[in-house]
Amino acid sequence: MARIPDTIVLRRDRDLGPRQNDIWVRRGLFGLVCVVPLLALFNVFGQRPDTSTGTAAAAQLSVSAPSHVRGGLLYQARFTITARKKLAQAELVLARGWIDDLTINTLEPSPTSETSQDGQLALDLGPIDAGQTYVLFVDYQVNPTNVGRHDQAVTLYDGNRALVTLHRTLTVFP
Amino acid sequence: MDIALRAVFLYAFVVFLMRVMGRRELSSLSALDLVLLIVLGDAIQQGLTQDDYSVTGAVIAVSTIAAVQVGISYLSFRSRRARRVLEGEPVVIIEDGKLIERNLKRERLTEDEIAEEMRMQQVASVDDVAWGILESSGNMSFIPK
Repeated sequence: MARIPDTIVLRRDRDLGPRQNDIWVRRGLFGLVCVVPLLALFNVFGQRPDTSTGTAAAAQLSVSAPSHVRGGLLYQARFTITARKKLAQAELVLARGWIDDLTINTLEPSPTSETSQDGQLALDLGPIDAGQTYVLFVDYQVNPTNVGRHDQAVTLYDGNRALVTLHRTLTVFP
Repeated sequence: MDIALRAVFLYAFVVFLMRVMGRRELSSLSALDLVLLIVLGDAIQQGLTQDDYSVTGAVIAVSTIAAVQVGISYLSFRSRRARRVLEGEPVVIIEDGKLIERNLKRERLTEDEIAEEMRMQQVASVDDVAWGILESSGNMSFIPK
């Protein structure tokens, strides 16, 4: 029989003596890799929308948008306002997390005016009659450099009076 | 900056993936392995440069990967422990004309695959092989009796 090839050590490379546990380490690490798609199925990495709802005597505000997204994704946020009493001057104030490092592709229906309120985006929606529902659609794309967790609070005002505030966050994965 | 970090992370992830998947996947380019490589390449490209179509972006990505590759290669050259972790070690699969079943099972190799590899190296039978070794690259070497 030919001699043992150079650098081959039978105890290590044939009997795998010191390498007995390597296979379990490898299988364990591969198991971790398999956890990633499972987490994705459970929406850990986005982009399934979550709905938050807040109610006041005068109106109900509901926001449907993903709370986890990834760089480059296109998604939509939907703000639904149901007036229980007439809102003379409905205004939505969005925290910076709704704008910073996100591209707004479209915003429908267009608000009557847009202003900055302490660095937040204030959208003047005009009057909403009692019993009416106003739905604002905003289509986004996440800028690839946007990473981390952002405050996405939303407040519905009627004139200067705050009616409902929803506290949300957006987590952006690279 | 962003592309360089993405390149380093994705390179490390692919190296990690290839190591934990085992060398069976590296040993030959069967139809399934080819699909794996194409899908991996496409998925990684999108995560690497995203919407950056610039030549500068491509140069940053390629330069970073080249630098990391040379760095890892140097590390492997300098340290046996690093080489063991990054590249793995050979496994003896045939000794004196006999297949070592335990090692084949560990590497998910079948007798048919060994026979095919032997035929490609002009070896007709396991009986003619003194040593068969699955190298760390995923290739197989056969030393005749």
